[in-house]
Amino acid sequence: MIADFEYFAPKTVKEALSLLSQYKEAKIIAGGQSLLVVLKQRLFSPEYLIDIKGISALDYINYEEGKGLRIGALTPHRTIEKSPVIQKYFPVLSEMENNIATIQTRNWGTIGGNICHGDPAGDPAPVFIALKAKLKLASLGGERVIDMQEFSKDYLEVALDPGEMLSEIQIPKPAPHTGTAHDKLMVMKGDMGIIGAAVSIVLDSKGKCEDARIVLSNAASVPLRAGKAEKKLIGKVLNDALLAEAGELASAEADPPADVHGSAEYRREMVKVFVRRAAAKALERARAA
Amino acid sequence: MAETKSEVFGNFSILGKAIPRVDARAKVTGEAKYAADYEFADMLWGQIKRSPYPHARILNIDTSKAERLPGVKAVTTGKDFGGFKWGWSGPTRDEEPLAVEKVRYLYEGVAAVAAVDEDTANEACDLIEVEYEPLPGVFDVLEAMKPGAPLVHENRPGNICVEYHWNFGDVDKAFAESYLVREDTFQTPRMAKGYLEPPAVVSYWPDSNHVVYIGAKGSPYFPYRLLSRCFNLPLSNVRIITPIIGSDFGGTKNDMTPADYSAVMLAKKTGRPVKIVTSQYDVLTTDLRRHPMWLTVKTGVTKDGILKATYLKAVADGGAYTRMSPLTMMLTGCLTTLPYKLPNYKYDCYNYFTNNPSSAAMRGHGLYHSRFAADVQLDMIAEELGLDPVEIRMKNAIENPEPGKVYTAVNDVHVATCGVQECIEKVAEAVNWKARKGKKKVEGSKAYGMGFAAATYNSGTKLSAHNACAAIIRVCEDGSVNYLTGATDVGQGSDTIMCAIAAEVLGIGLEDIDLKRVDTAFTPVDPGSYGSRVTVLAGQAARNAALDVKQQLLEVAAQQFGVKPEDVEIKNKQVFVKSNPTRNMSWERLVRTACYDTPGKVIIGRGYSTQGISLLGLADFSKGVGDIGTNYSFTAEANEVEVDTETGVVKCTDNSVIAHDCGFPLNTQAVESQVQGGAYHQGIAAAIYEEFKMDSGQTLNANLIDYKRPRAYEAPMTQVIHVLTNDPYGPFGAKEASEGSCCSAPPAIVNAIYNATGVWIKDLPTQPEKVFWALKAKKEEKKGRKKK
Ligand SMILES: Cc1cc2nc3c(=O)[nH]c(=O)nc-3n(C[C@H](O)[C@H](O)[C@H](O)COP(=O)(O)OP(=O)(O)OC[C@H]3O[C@@H](n4cnc5c(N)ncnc54)[C@H](O)[C@@H]3O)c2cc1C
Repeated sequence: MIADFEYFAPKTVKEALSLLSQYKEAKIIAGGQSLLVVLKQRLFSPEYLIDIKGISALDYINYEEGKGLRIGALTPHRTIEKSPVIQKYFPVLSEMENNIATIQTRNWGTIGGNICHGDPAGDPAPVFIALKAKLKLASLGGERVIDMQEFSKDYLEVALDPGEMLSEIQIPKPAPHTGTAHDKLMVMKGDMGIIGAAVSIVLDSKGKCEDARIVLSNAASVPLRAGKAEKKLIGKVLNDALLAEAGELASAEADPPADVHGSAEYRREMVKVFVRRAAAKALERARAA
Repeated sequence: MAETKSEVFGNFSILGKAIPRVDARAKVTGEAKYAADYEFADMLWGQIKRSPYPHARILNIDTSKAERLPGVKAVTTGKDFGGFKWGWSGPTRDEEPLAVEKVRYLYEGVAAVAAVDEDTANEACDLIEVEYEPLPGVFDVLEAMKPGAPLVHENRPGNICVEYHWNFGDVDKAFAESYLVREDTFQTPRMAKGYLEPPAVVSYWPDSNHVVYIGAKGSPYFPYRLLSRCFNLPLSNVRIITPIIGSDFGGTKNDMTPADYSAVMLAKKTGRPVKIVTSQYDVLTTDLRRHPMWLTVKTGVTKDGILKATYLKAVADGGAYTRMSPLTMMLTGCLTTLPYKLPNYKYDCYNYFTNNPSSAAMRGHGLYHSRFAADVQLDMIAEELGLDPVEIRMKNAIENPEPGKVYTAVNDVHVATCGVQECIEKVAEAVNWKARKGKKKVEGSKAYGMGFAAATYNSGTKLSAHNACAAIIRVCEDGSVNYLTGATDVGQGSDTIMCAIAAEVLGIGLEDIDLKRVDTAFTPVDPGSYGSRVTVLAGQAARNAALDVKQQLLEVAAQQFGVKPEDVEIKNKQVFVKSNPTRNMSWERLVRTACYDTPGKVIIGRGYSTQGISLLGLADFSKGVGDIGTNYSFTAEANEVEVDTETGVVKCTDNSVIAHDCGFPLNTQAVESQVQGGAYHQGIAAAIYEEFKMDSGQTLNANLIDYKRPRAYEAPMTQVIHVLTNDPYGPFGAKEASEGSCCSAPPAIVNAIYNATGVWIKDLPTQPEKVFWALKAKKEEKKGRKKK
């Protein structure tokens, strides 16, 4: 059972921010898909809940050639999955969303809630990092923009200051010949990945790998960039053997947990498979782009 | 994908085809009332205070703070029950409603509270102070069996809960004479029953001498008897009312929980209705689970693959209390002699107490374990002998006895009808088994394979003590009919079958019958919904009660027509003289005539089942002989799987077929949906997905995200083929439907994984990591061999 709390339902960002500055101990609730679980488990019992789900101004998807993609923090997973703009310019996001939970959860859970929950098993964060996303954080004092990669601090811990909330995710327009892909190990469709990998590959005009990002979920206490694996690919003409080597390197970099779904050793083996699989798909896309 | 054909069997007005469920409308519209939906004026909420230790002595319970909390109306502890203990049978009464001296599993109930609302009840539980002396526990059978291990029950040395040692024929001689003898050990996990409706109860005392209990119980005459003994009331004063039940699958909804006894005690103390609804978390951490078992099977065969002997050793984790373990171990052993001819058989079993939540019945009770082990091993044997899996099964399968004859197994199990050969043939044909042979399909990292299995199950299970089902049929003066049953529909569709049988016999429509669910104040006593017994035994009661009514009405009609009762028939609500159907009257007119003609009759029919009681005698648990069932169903199944050879993830494809011999499908739709939902789906769950993971008595995945329960995506529709054998011991030829087919999926899946990849997974479920390491070991072994 959830402990008692006081409940606020601001309708604007400004209202939300002033409530946040007034009640330092308050917790934000968006779709509640993750928060309600931890509240029921009494992992913590906030005295105040600020329900931001009604702030419709933060539910949007905008794409402009120059600026790239902007997603409001309160955009539901399902909206991203089904968005024609996203399917056209960032198909990887739609695919990733399609594998999150069930339709019910995707209809109500928000992209901002997912990221702010800070679960290292979450799927969007690695994909956003692979896409070089930035986050816009708002407080009464103003706004700041940080790299998605800097946001995750530890297991269920993110770089939100007291009084601050996430308002927007910003994804730059990818360089030409970029391919991005995501894949994860599921026993059943919609599972949190036992291991997940997001890979982005940029090819130069000669087909050499100019840049690569390899980001893992559920392989450490935060979304993990496999730097050594990335370096292995950069500057080379890629082939299956190199992708497999990248998988091996990423596996060595991973420090995965052990739980009811798999041992750490198994997860390390799976890092090899999923880095290779996601990289192969990313490469294919980069070549086609 | 092959689809199930809709067919019509027999020459009946209602039976033998798809019959719409009588409870469908109420369930779909939300009108159906489940236990948790009951509300009464002045009702209190109850809550259970649970132990934070899996094994501890209770030194003191201080309820004073809880009692002082405003809104709390009563608190109870185990001491209030005056030493009452209960269990599955007299000698196994080892459990208290709330633990008094010792807790034996994590979250066992130690006290309960009734308060004006749920919040207050929860808060009061937090205020109850319990002093414990934690004790070392035993959490698996290997620990439990060690000499000097902590004892779960001080009076049960060696932590032995149940053991049986049976021996039929001469297995040693048969092994010595066998061409091939194999021994393999298999493992089955603890599983959740999977009801979405958590147990709930509301109880009140209309006066100090009568109790009313409304609860989600599939076997309401269990609490009837137990509450009578617990509260020292004659049975006549115990009123159990059965609401709609949101499924059961064995175990908790047959048996009692701390919440059941506590609600009744708190209602007694307060004089007000008390309701307790168990949370899903409490269900997943404390409710009865399927036994985890270790099964070592040794089997000898001739060069041609004919079974000579089997020695089965089963070791089970029974958990904290005996519950139904004696029956589980009986069922695990007693039908190893079906569905194949087995001339020599030996069975040793050991069920140990541990400090885990108690284990108990679950769909496919017992047989699920031994059939999994034996039917996988049969494929291993076939492989060694170079035989085809279908061929070896056909060779050994019991033939359908000639009408009037009976097949007798070595342990005196009697089978009047056996469609297993026909099931095997039909499945093999439907999946085109021969054409598949040797063809292995590999696409990238995906390997595909198909596996085969056959199984059996006892229907109309007969235990010691009371076994008969009964029915009362009241005909109202307008021609409508009340059907009063002691049997409980927990979702399997038995209410529909009871109405259909009565309507068929009476010659009226399904819609003319209104079924009254169990209310022990009015309905006849019944053993309960377990052991696939309801359709077979309550169905016979339905038939007998309807025949009784019909006879009474035919006598009235005969008088009217001036003929003998046997010259009159009733069909489609028309009553007519058989030799001259133009002499007729309507059903309504006949009923009215019967009721209104001076002095007027009251038409009440009654009937009870006789087949379960005396036909072939009862089974002897200590020796493992005799019939646990009234008759036996048979199944064959083929399943195709897709294995990701890089990750170990196994998935079912939609290519699967189950042929099921349920004797005669009274309601084809119910049989098909039971086989699809309650057998195939649950079988897949057991084979690939479900397992409670434990650590020192704590359930690690007590939620439906981490406890993997497959959905329709993971277990697509299977094709169902009906095989008819018309068993003489079931109503209209019927036997049980779909507990047998629940037992064939796990071996079929494991055999399919072998077919796809060449690795045997001997412990269920076939979760990805297990399959992955097995594949890796095989690859390395291959490499090793190449190097040499
Ligand atoms: C059955 C199920 C399966 C799931 N499977 C997956 C999966 O496969 N992959 C995956 O990635 N996720 C999965 N999830 C998690 C889910 O996608 C998200 O975590 C969820 O959608 C969070 O969104 P929400 O709006 O419900 O957030 P909430 O639960 O309301 O909030 C989550 C956290 O974020 C904080 N928060 C929310 N919005 C903001 C904001 N704008 N600014 C600052 N802090 C904020 C809250 O305070 C809280 O700490 C699953 C969840 C469920 C229930």
